[in-house]
Amino acid sequence: MISPKEVPPNSRVLTMSIDDEPVDFRDGETIYDIANRCRREVPSLCYDPRLEPFGACRLCVVDVEGIKNPVASCTTKATDGMVVRTKTKTIEKYRKTLLEMVASENRNLDINQLSGYSSQELSELLDQYSTDNKRFIGKTSGKSNKDDKNPFILRDYDNCISCYRCVRVCAEQEGDHAINIINRGFQTQISTEFGNDLRDSECTFCGQCVQTCPTGALSDKKALRAKESPGEIKKTRSVCPYCGVGCAVDILTKETKVVGIQPAMDGPANEGALCIKGQYAFDFVSHPDRLKKPMIRQDDGSFRESEWEEALQLAANGFQEVADDYGRHSVYGIASGRAPHEAAYTMQKFIRSNFGTNYIDNCSRS
Amino acid sequence: MDNEKQFQSLSNEAIIEQWSDKDAPLLPVLHAFHDRDDYLSDDTIKFISKALKIPVAELYATITFYHHFSREEKGKKNPRVCTGNVCCLNGGNELLEELKKDGATAMPCAGRCDEMVPVIIGDDVFVGKNSKTLKNIPTPIPQPNPGKYEECIFRHIRNENRCHIEGYEKTHGYVALKSILQKSPSEVIETITESKLAGRGGAGFPTGLKWNSVASAPGNPKTIVCNADEGEPGCFKDRTIMDHDPHALIEGMIIAAYATGSTRGFIYLRYEYPQTENILQTAIDEAIKNNYLGKNILNNKDFNFDLQIRRGAGAYICGEEGSLLNSLEGKHPFPRNKPPFPVTHGFEDLPTVVNNVETLASVAPVIRKGAEWYQSLGIGDLPGTKVISLSGDIQKPGNYEVPFGLPLKTLLNDWAGGAIEGQTIRAVTMAGLSGGFLSGEDLNVSLDEPSIRSKGSFLGAGGIIVFDDRRNMFEVAHQAMQFFAHESCGKCFPCRIGTQRLTERLDPNKIEIDLETWTNEVNEIGEVMKATSACGLGMAAPNVTESLQKYFHDTINTYVKK
Repeated sequence: MISPKEVPPNSRVLTMSIDDEPVDFRDGETIYDIANRCRREVPSLCYDPRLEPFGACRLCVVDVEGIKNPVASCTTKATDGMVVRTKTKTIEKYRKTLLEMVASENRNLDINQLSGYSSQELSELLDQYSTDNKRFIGKTSGKSNKDDKNPFILRDYDNCISCYRCVRVCAEQEGDHAINIINRGFQTQISTEFGNDLRDSECTFCGQCVQTCPTGALSDKKALRAKESPGEIKKTRSVCPYCGVGCAVDILTKETKVVGIQPAMDGPANEGALCIKGQYAFDFVSHPDRLKKPMIRQDDGSFRESEWEEALQLAANGFQEVADDYGRHSVYGIASGRAPHEAAYTMQKFIRSNFGTNYIDNCSRS
Repeated sequence: MDNEKQFQSLSNEAIIEQWSDKDAPLLPVLHAFHDRDDYLSDDTIKFISKALKIPVAELYATITFYHHFSREEKGKKNPRVCTGNVCCLNGGNELLEELKKDGATAMPCAGRCDEMVPVIIGDDVFVGKNSKTLKNIPTPIPQPNPGKYEECIFRHIRNENRCHIEGYEKTHGYVALKSILQKSPSEVIETITESKLAGRGGAGFPTGLKWNSVASAPGNPKTIVCNADEGEPGCFKDRTIMDHDPHALIEGMIIAAYATGSTRGFIYLRYEYPQTENILQTAIDEAIKNNYLGKNILNNKDFNFDLQIRRGAGAYICGEEGSLLNSLEGKHPFPRNKPPFPVTHGFEDLPTVVNNVETLASVAPVIRKGAEWYQSLGIGDLPGTKVISLSGDIQKPGNYEVPFGLPLKTLLNDWAGGAIEGQTIRAVTMAGLSGGFLSGEDLNVSLDEPSIRSKGSFLGAGGIIVFDDRRNMFEVAHQAMQFFAHESCGKCFPCRIGTQRLTERLDPNKIEIDLETWTNEVNEIGEVMKATSACGLGMAAPNVTESLQKYFHDTINTYVKK
């Protein structure tokens, strides 16, 4: 199966009609991708552009002239001359019913935004279709696994809608195959091997399952620590400093505190992926043990708190001495992956222009 | 039972070695361990995961998909009692209660609806009304056709020793295969196309057209898959054909292989037919010995066809061809998105014919007697015959090969003896359970798709279950929907949630909504399932609630308050 990004750029250009407008597309594209490009806003819950189209939620069904039943636009490739309607009255009614059915198995629709990047998808769609979880009352499907003792991922499957985005992102993007789908039908659950805790599975805690979950069934335990903290959530785009890949991240802050990290889905290097460090290792930023003042090592090895002026002068003298005695290449700078990018930049500038050497490195290069 | 002893002595490594270089190894490997240990332990799963390079979470999950793989020690030996719709009429639930002391659990329809309640213990199937009468008996042979219509499938099935190659060859066995070797593959396909033979598993897709697509599709090796996962409740025709005429199926598959240029073949057999597996394996061995299978078939250079049985493990959805192919490949048995279709992207994404047992068993007679002959078997313009599995409240349940177009009432009353004495027929199901019901007062149809579809139902695989006026149709509908909910694979939302919600709305003890809400909800769920489900299961299940409302308003009113 060809996923949209694999459509060869030189493939044939064909024409179809979407909602009575002629549209050009390339051979191999799905109806969903073409419709999206034309801003048709076809709803979906199981679609993640990074994953193989799956066709589970059926919300993206559209009318295709000449075909009796509506087709799932995410799994159907467009063909030349195809006539598609994305929002007929019937289709919209099906979508609303489907959403109500999904909501009926989902106990909580009020999901904190800190849960994850996609966590509002279901509740937003329900709002868009002006409906809720009051119809089709019956058994709920998920079995919560809040007791999983890992410190990162909250597994509250009471909110799971079995779209399997978590399972698919784990297999297709991360290659961990840590979780899968057990049982059948309404009894379906997301599980690790033998139902173990995530810590005893192949999980590497990259957090991708959390970020693609459309209901908050999987959520970011660390970010949720700040759910009661005052202030609005602010997102600041940055690049993860931990290694050389250059994953784009959105740093979540409340007032002056970093409360969480989310991968940028449009990050060219990572397309929504992160690793355990980039995703969860940010506590040092406001850790109480963090140095707030320069410390000067004494002759007996202990440290003494000092003021900047004194510390900088001492450091400058030391550097100068070494450079004078042994030449410009006697200095070698290594910046920390935990330092901000601005500091890393200043550091290389300092080494290069000050000493005239390229002996500058960063721990994230390896 | 030499086979069984051999299994018991095999080491883990030996089992893997036996299968690892074969196509579609996962199911036979799982069965080999399951047979040896009577369950699949955590350690076994970890071992297989490593040996076959399948992630352990994925393998564990796939195993939980199947009903019959036991995860508890000695679990395979625990009795499984059929509590399908027909067995419910015959005391299935009572028998289950009786056997619970031995660790018995329920299983969905096990395809022996023309007999007493089937119980699977290990690799043996017993039938009986209570624990004292349980016995291991062969599949009944279909009664001679009382209508004097010419048969195709059952023509020779009653002959002595038909299930062995000597008996099969006595009445034209393998003559068709020998005759086609003088013809080109396209000539063979032409004959099948002209005969208008179509898929007898229920979908009715023209067989010749399917073969032609595979023959002309790029990619090798090509595969013939026989769908013998007869899971539809009330259907037991394929078991009869395979048990009593296995060579007819095998010959059909070899001809299909010749016509399409396929070199590998699988019979995907449902778990519930262990005896059939033995019969088929014996027949395959006989065919290999006689050079009908294997390399250079009948000394024709480059005509090779390797045929293997793969046993399922209890999942109705594996009768859906995409699920079946995923199951064969060792993947999670969800249906596949279509297109592409199996004819171009089937087993291992290569061109594949997936045909039902009955379809393939019709091939040799069609080749031998000609397309025109086969067409003429139906009534009027309707070509060919269909095997109907008839069960439930009827004098003579069993398999009947009918000409297409035979009036349903003729089958019920003249061929099968009509209702049980003193009773009248309240309803019959169509397509097993998938077609929903026709009421006893609306039986003026003939057995062919156009006629039955005009009633909003369909003939499908040809299972008809009869319920007489002792039966409560609301409860029958509830049981039917429970089956669909139990068998829904869990992939697409409308079916996964819809079958559950409809089951709840048909549960006599749990209805808390008024009639208007009930009707709106049931119909809205039904509509969305029919229109948007990813495969036939979700599309067909609402036929149950639709036909219940069409014919049995009164019974709904007694359970759902205004």
